[in-house]
Amino acid sequence: MKRLLLCVFAILLCIIVVIPVYSEDKVRGVTDTEIKIGQWGPQTGPAALWGAVARGTGVYFDLVNSEGGIAGRKIKYYLRDDGYQPAKTKAIGKEFIDDIGVFTVVGGVGTSTGMAVRDSLMENEIVWVGPLTGSDNWTEPLQKYLFAIYPKYTDEAYLLTEYTAEKLGKKKIAFFYQNDDYGKEGLKGAQKWAKKAGVKLVAEVPVEVTDTDLKSHALKMKQSGADAVIMWVLPKHAAIILGTSKAAGFQPQWVACSTLSDSAMMYNITKGLWEGVIFGNFLDMDNPLIKKYKAAQEKFAPNEKYTGVFFLAGFMFAEPMVEGLKRAGKDLNTQTFVKALETIRNWNDWLGHDCTFTPTDHQGMKSIFVSKCGPKGEPVRLSDWITFTDDKK
Amino acid sequence: MSIFLDLVIGGVSVGACYALIALAMVIIYKTTEVPNFAQGEMAMVAAFVAFTMMDDYHLGFWMSATITLVFSFLLGCALEISFLRPAKDLNILGAIVITLGAEMILYGLAGWKWGANQNPFPVPFSEYDGFRIGSALVTEINFWTFVTSVVIMLLLFLFFRFTKVGVAMKAVQQNMFAAKAMGIPTRRILTFTWGLSSMTGAVAGMLIAPLATLDPNMMLDPMLKGFAGAVLGGMTSLPGAAIGGYMIGLIENFFGGYISLEFKSVVAFAVIVLILCFKPSGLFVKHFERKV
Repeated sequence: MKRLLLCVFAILLCIIVVIPVYSEDKVRGVTDTEIKIGQWGPQTGPAALWGAVARGTGVYFDLVNSEGGIAGRKIKYYLRDDGYQPAKTKAIGKEFIDDIGVFTVVGGVGTSTGMAVRDSLMENEIVWVGPLTGSDNWTEPLQKYLFAIYPKYTDEAYLLTEYTAEKLGKKKIAFFYQNDDYGKEGLKGAQKWAKKAGVKLVAEVPVEVTDTDLKSHALKMKQSGADAVIMWVLPKHAAIILGTSKAAGFQPQWVACSTLSDSAMMYNITKGLWEGVIFGNFLDMDNPLIKKYKAAQEKFAPNEKYTGVFFLAGFMFAEPMVEGLKRAGKDLNTQTFVKALETIRNWNDWLGHDCTFTPTDHQGMKSIFVSKCGPKGEPVRLSDWITFTDDKK
Repeated sequence: MSIFLDLVIGGVSVGACYALIALAMVIIYKTTEVPNFAQGEMAMVAAFVAFTMMDDYHLGFWMSATITLVFSFLLGCALEISFLRPAKDLNILGAIVITLGAEMILYGLAGWKWGANQNPFPVPFSEYDGFRIGSALVTEINFWTFVTSVVIMLLLFLFFRFTKVGVAMKAVQQNMFAAKAMGIPTRRILTFTWGLSSMTGAVAGMLIAPLATLDPNMMLDPMLKGFAGAVLGGMTSLPGAAIGGYMIGLIENFFGGYISLEFKSVVAFAVIVLILCFKPSGLFVKHFERKV
C-alpha cells in the first residue's frame, strides 16, 4: 500500500514538474486555430447597464470569426459577469489566468474592478486592451501590457471645460461630480483648465453614489450663480439633478461627460429634460461601420435589448485589439502582439479617432467631439474631433 | 432666507417618503418586533409593477396604482406565508435574516425581469410646477407626497386604535400566546400585517420613483433613511416614526445646505447613534417596557 501511495505521489510530482516545461514553448491561449480572449462586465447589479459593452464585443468577435477569423485563427470569447464588484473581478482574473488561460483581455467596465486585476494581469504578462473607463491608472505610469483607449477623464474634462468657456461663452462654470475616482479625475481636469485660464470654478459639488435626494446639491449650485454646470456622475444622478434643479428654478447650460453620451436613453429617463444638454463623445455614430455592426447585431444577437452607444462601444474597444492581432499575424505571442499594437499610428479604420500606441505612450485615443441633445433626444454634432494635445498638459 | 425655505421644502418632501417607509416598517415591527429589511425592495418591485402597467399595458396612472396596491398587498402576504411562516422556532434574529434573504431575492428578480436601466416613471402631478411659499417653489409632487404621507399616517393611526383587526394586531405583538388563547387568528393577523405594510411601502415606492428614476437600486438609500427615521421616532409609534422620517429629511437637507454635502448621507446615521445612546426607544415613545 505504502509503495502504491509513493508511486502515485511520484507520478503526481512528475506531472506538476514536467507539464509547465512542455507548455513553456507554447503560447498561453493560442493554438493554430484559436485565440482565447476574456472580458468581464457587469451583467447584473448596479452597473448592469454597462454590461452591454461586453455583449457588443461578443457580437464583434462573431463578426470577425464569420469573416474568416484572424490569420486562420478563430476567436474564442469568454464573457464573465462580475456584478461590478472588485472581489468578483479578482476571481475572474484568476480564472482567466489559471483555469482558462486566455491570451489577452479586452474591455472591462469599471475603474475599481479593473484595478483589482491590473497588477496580476501585468505580472502574468497578459495584454489588456481598452479598459472601459478613462482613468489615469491605466497609463500612468506606463504598463507594458496595458493599452488604454478611452480618452482620459482628466483630458476630457479639460476639453469640455475649455469648450464651455470659449465656444459657449460661459463665465461661471460649476462642476458636479461623483465623490470617487471617476468624478474626482473629471474635477482635476476642469481645475487644470481653470488654473491655466486664470479663473475659478464657481462651485465644486460632490454627490455620493447612494444619494437620491439632491435638493441641497441643486441649491448650492444655484447659489453660486453658475451659468453652466459640467457633470461627472451616473445617469441616475444626472437625471435627478436636472429634475431637481428645474424645480428649484435653476436652469444653467448642462454639460455632460462622455459616460452620459447616450442621448436617446438620457432623454427618455429625464422625460425630455435632456434636450439642449451638451456632452462629450468618444464614439462616432455617423461612421459607416455602424451600419455593418448593426447588421451583425441583428444576425448574431437578435434578442439584444440595448443596442445604444455602449453596446457599440463593445465593438469599438475591441477594434484596435483585432487590428493588433492582424498585424502580429501567424507568429502570435505576447511579445509580437505588443510590438504589433505599438505600430498602430493615427489609425482611423474604426469607430474612434486617431488610434496611436507608441512604446512610451499606451493611451490610444486622446480626442472627443461635442454634441448636443436635439428636441427628440437625437444627438446633434457640434464640433469636429477635439484632441488633447501636448501643449495642454 | 430663500435657501432656508427651499431646504425646508426639500427636507419635508423627501422626509415624507422616508416617513412612509418608516410607517411600513413600524407596522410589521409593531406586531412581530422584526425590522423588515425587505421593505425597500418590496416597494421597488411594486413601483416596477406600476411602471409595467403604465408602460406595457398602457393603463392610466390611477388604475395602475390601484392594481399595484392590490399586488403589493398580495406580495406582502405571500412573503409572510412562504418565508416566515414555515420557519421553525423563529427568533427575531432568524426573522431578520429571512427578511434580508427576501430582500436579495426581490432585488435579483427585479434585475432579471426589468434590467438595470433607469426608467422614467410618469405621474399625473407636475414635478416642476406648483405654488410658491415666499420665494420657494412647492412642486405638485412635493405637495401630494406630503399630503399622502400625512393621510396614510392618520388612517393607520385610526386603524390601530379603533378597528378590531388593528387592536388584534397590537394584541399579537404584546403576547402572541395569549392572543391565540383569546381566539385571535394570529397567523392570519401576521399575514395581514405584512400585506398592509407592503401596501404602505408601495405608496412610498410610487412617490420616490418619479423623482429618483426607477431602477432596482432605487430604494437602497430611501429604505435606510426610512429605517433611520423609524429608529429616531420610535419603532413602536406610528406618528413617532413618521415624524422621525420628516426629521431625517430636514436634518439631511440642512446639513447638506449649510455644512457639508460630502457628509450629508451619513449624518442620518450619526443621529441614530446618538439616539440609541441617549434614548434607545426613540424620541416619541414615552416608556420602554420590557414585556414579560
